[in-house]
Amino acid sequence: MIVDAKQSIHLSPTYRLQWEEAQNMFVLLYPEGLVELNQSSAEILQLCKDENKLSDIVTTLEQKFSSTGLEPDIINFLNTALDNGWITQKA
Amino acid sequence: MAGSPKKPSPPRWLLAELTYACPLQCPYCSNPIDYASINSELSTEDWKRVLKQSREMGAVQLGFSGGEPLTRKDLTELVSYSHDLGYYTNLITSGYNMDEAKIVELKEAGLDHIQVSLQASSKELNDFIAGTESFEHKKTVARLIKKHGYPMVLCVVLHRENIHQMKEILEMAIELGADFVELANTQYYGWAHHNRDQLMPTQQQLNDAEAIANQYQASQKGNMKIYYVVPDYYEGRPKACMNGWGTTFLTIAPDGLALPCHSARQLPNFDCPNVNDFSIQEIWNESKAFNYFRGDDWMKEPCRTCKDKDKDFGGCHCQAFLLTGDAHNADPVCNLSPLHHTVTDAIDKAEQPSEHGLLFRNSKNSKLLNK
Repeated sequence: MIVDAKQSIHLSPTYRLQWEEAQNMFVLLYPEGLVELNQSSAEILQLCKDENKLSDIVTTLEQKFSSTGLEPDIINFLNTALDNGWITQKA
Repeated sequence: MAGSPKKPSPPRWLLAELTYACPLQCPYCSNPIDYASINSELSTEDWKRVLKQSREMGAVQLGFSGGEPLTRKDLTELVSYSHDLGYYTNLITSGYNMDEAKIVELKEAGLDHIQVSLQASSKELNDFIAGTESFEHKKTVARLIKKHGYPMVLCVVLHRENIHQMKEILEMAIELGADFVELANTQYYGWAHHNRDQLMPTQQQLNDAEAIANQYQASQKGNMKIYYVVPDYYEGRPKACMNGWGTTFLTIAPDGLALPCHSARQLPNFDCPNVNDFSIQEIWNESKAFNYFRGDDWMKEPCRTCKDKDKDFGGCHCQAFLLTGDAHNADPVCNLSPLHHTVTDAIDKAEQPSEHGLLFRNSKNSKLLNK
């Protein structure tokens, strides 16, 4: 699936993003499932909320990491996350 | 307890088998066949200690299972306690004796997810396999789970008697509004191993079923997630059992025995530690049982020099024991195993009708088998 730049992006209702102290990382939790996230994936998923759209996520992360040109990598990750059902653009 | 040179990765999954008591009698149950002789159950306080210590070690996915976990009077209390500790809590249930009040009560306690099992897509077959009239009630429970905002996961264990219903099972899942469907080919441990000749599907049945599962996986994409658990006997290469022994999964049996895999208590002279005697930290890091198959020092040929040894870790040790008599052997599911014929013989046998009927999982039969 391809992320729609016009629609807001949020975590799917059956998924939970959680910081794990023992592992020192964010994990994504769902029925009988667990995904251990690297830092960039966790940064993006944390922003999949509050009516944020693709451009909001890109702007926030480029500011946070004083960087530019992050959009292609962010789109790639979001497409994968959509395919896996981690995030949704449905209302 | 033996020391370990390298600190193991922390447990991420805790399976809490609260009880062996169950109102159903499924002949593919993975519980030990001698369960009726294991009468002691951990107390509420014991479970709380296990839950807290495991969480501190890093466990975050928690399954309440059994037997039927709903038979434990303290289930809601344990769910609430686990939720407060930060677990993602899963209840794995037959749905038997569950009502709307209980579903609401568990939701308020913080339960994240309920997985309900169905045995078939028709009442006759479901109730026959379950050994208990339960089909209509299970469907009602599935609808109530959905109504109260849980992610709804249907689990159907597949075998020779029901695998032809694949299409009807998936249509039923759609009708019930399942978010996830787990189509799990029977794994041959415990009661399922005893009933293997009666449960093994034929190759033709499997091919047909897998084609239908693939078709629905494609058409349901984005709506209902379908997990198809492959039948490892037919795969040629073993599963990476438990994601590697003592790396990820921790099972606590009803009597407090700590197991690196839920079938490990059948391994002879294995001496699994009990949570009544040791802390989770001691069990996970230091016990002989949890260290036994860590790494590859234990491996014999053909595993030792195999290019895939870091991928499948030699497969399942309990299966190696069940089929070859030695848990150190390569999982004979592997076509590189010199004992692979133990699996192909079983497959050949599955093409023939079985002479015996299914032996149902109940205390009477458990005592008979254990005589």
